[in-house]
Amino acid sequence: MAAFWRVRHRTRQALLLWCFLAPSLAIFLLYRVLPVVWNLVLSFQYWSPLKAAEPAGFDHYEDLLADDVFWQALWNTLIVIASAPVGILIALMLALLVNSEIRGRDVYRTVIFTSYPLMTVAVAIIWRWMFDERVGLLNYAARASHLIDSPIPFLNSFIWALPCVIVANIWQMLGFYMIILLTGLQNIPHELHEAAAIDGANALRRFQRITLPLLRPSIFLAFVIGMLNSVTSFDLVYVMTGGGPGRATEILVTYIYKLGFMQTKFDDAAAVTVVFFVLLVATTWGANQFAGGDAGAAETE
Amino acid sequence: MHRYPRWPIHLALLLAGFVMLVPFYWVLKTSVSGENIYAYPPSIVPARIHPFFYVDVWYSIPFARYLLNSVVVSAIAVAGNVLFNAMAGYALTHGFRGKSTVVLLFLTCMMVPFQATIIPAYLITGRLGLLDSWLGLALPQCSTIICIFVFKASFDAVPRSLIDAARIDGLSEWRIVWHVMMPLSKSAIATNVILAFIWSWNNFLWPLIMTRSADMQTLPLGLARFLSYQEDTTGALYAFCIMVLAPGLLLFLLAQKEFMRGLTSGAVKG
Repeated sequence: MAAFWRVRHRTRQALLLWCFLAPSLAIFLLYRVLPVVWNLVLSFQYWSPLKAAEPAGFDHYEDLLADDVFWQALWNTLIVIASAPVGILIALMLALLVNSEIRGRDVYRTVIFTSYPLMTVAVAIIWRWMFDERVGLLNYAARASHLIDSPIPFLNSFIWALPCVIVANIWQMLGFYMIILLTGLQNIPHELHEAAAIDGANALRRFQRITLPLLRPSIFLAFVIGMLNSVTSFDLVYVMTGGGPGRATEILVTYIYKLGFMQTKFDDAAAVTVVFFVLLVATTWGANQFAGGDAGAAETE
Repeated sequence: MHRYPRWPIHLALLLAGFVMLVPFYWVLKTSVSGENIYAYPPSIVPARIHPFFYVDVWYSIPFARYLLNSVVVSAIAVAGNVLFNAMAGYALTHGFRGKSTVVLLFLTCMMVPFQATIIPAYLITGRLGLLDSWLGLALPQCSTIICIFVFKASFDAVPRSLIDAARIDGLSEWRIVWHVMMPLSKSAIATNVILAFIWSWNNFLWPLIMTRSADMQTLPLGLARFLSYQEDTTGALYAFCIMVLAPGLLLFLLAQKEFMRGLTSGAVKG
């Protein structure tokens, strides 16, 4: 009888725990799992609102191969991904500086971090204004110091527009990278550095042999989160350039939005989304390999 | 260890701080100048501080309505996060059948950026009949995986004996969460509140695709719309910017310690 009650208690408790999990699970199933599946299905169908779905095979994907805008957006997205390490490198230098024993380092840390929690739409407007052709600070500074004779129309230029968006993105993400790397730095035991110093290793060598290897999981983490954040920074592109001039700053996310919600080609957009998704998974996998294959261990504990 | 000179470090950090702050200053300066913002050369310090553009924003757009929408949606998201994440986090501190599957599912979901699922998410919300509503705006953000793990880590630190004592006293699991665990997890709660607020307050793409009526627009959307029909011909845009940034910035500065700790503990734990 007692055993029966215990079993009953066990199942009751398990049931209760599942109830506790239910709301979160429901939200994730509804907005993460189901969309991914639906998206995949949609990309193999001809479908638009108010029309019955018909099988499409690989038609949408074949269309993509011939779609110049898609290739441009894919290329731009790759450039944005490639820019994440630049931000991380700058952040690593800042993290090392902030980690040294100097006065006011909390103030420096706060100032550098402040841009991260800001509304991206507002950040985009701030940077539009900085890059402004007539009275933007950058043009003004460059003209006042006679570096250039005529102002550069940064955001209307095919060459400059994408780098400008990337600069704004790095500016916003810098503090975030720095905090992740700083946490990693602080988790490295002091004794290692001291022992190496006694053995006669100079600062550069200690950095190469101790700091960098032990920091690898943090760098991986910063890269994955930063990469996800950058390639999905729809707001930044939408507000700063709208994807223009031409398609110079079109990235996959903005292209998906335009296909789906401005041209109501949901099925084509779904195909682009699948490609986008594969790209994200592949990049993360690649970064994990690069970090030594077990960097994910930091995440799964 | 302390023999190297400090000034190069200060110099480099001051430079970095300068780069981080100057864009703010440039926009703030423009917003309070109340004059022709296209005068060349631009003034470095405003000749006269004038709130004209702020008044202009208040009267030219339904700022109060945008603010209300943003506040309500953020409040729903924050409440959802604290409630659901605490429950899920508590469940994950126990062992039960299927737990590893759930954890795997969570970690996989973390790799799915919301922006990559907008089309089905829009269609699903349509089927639920929640398009163009406060609940629909908040629902996808009502639980976040990082924040669940923040709660789990905090609950794991509560001594087992305390929970057992509460059980012996006859408290139900529900009451254990709310009366024993939560009061001991203040910093996890703070992290949840702050992160949920910032993510919801700043969200742009989701409101952009799912709101139809002007009445349901949130602040980021209002800001982007303002830009698209006024262009940047007026300083009011920059006043609007400052008005929108102020609450988030204030919250961050008040709670920055919790914020950074939460972000790193969440990010490091999962």
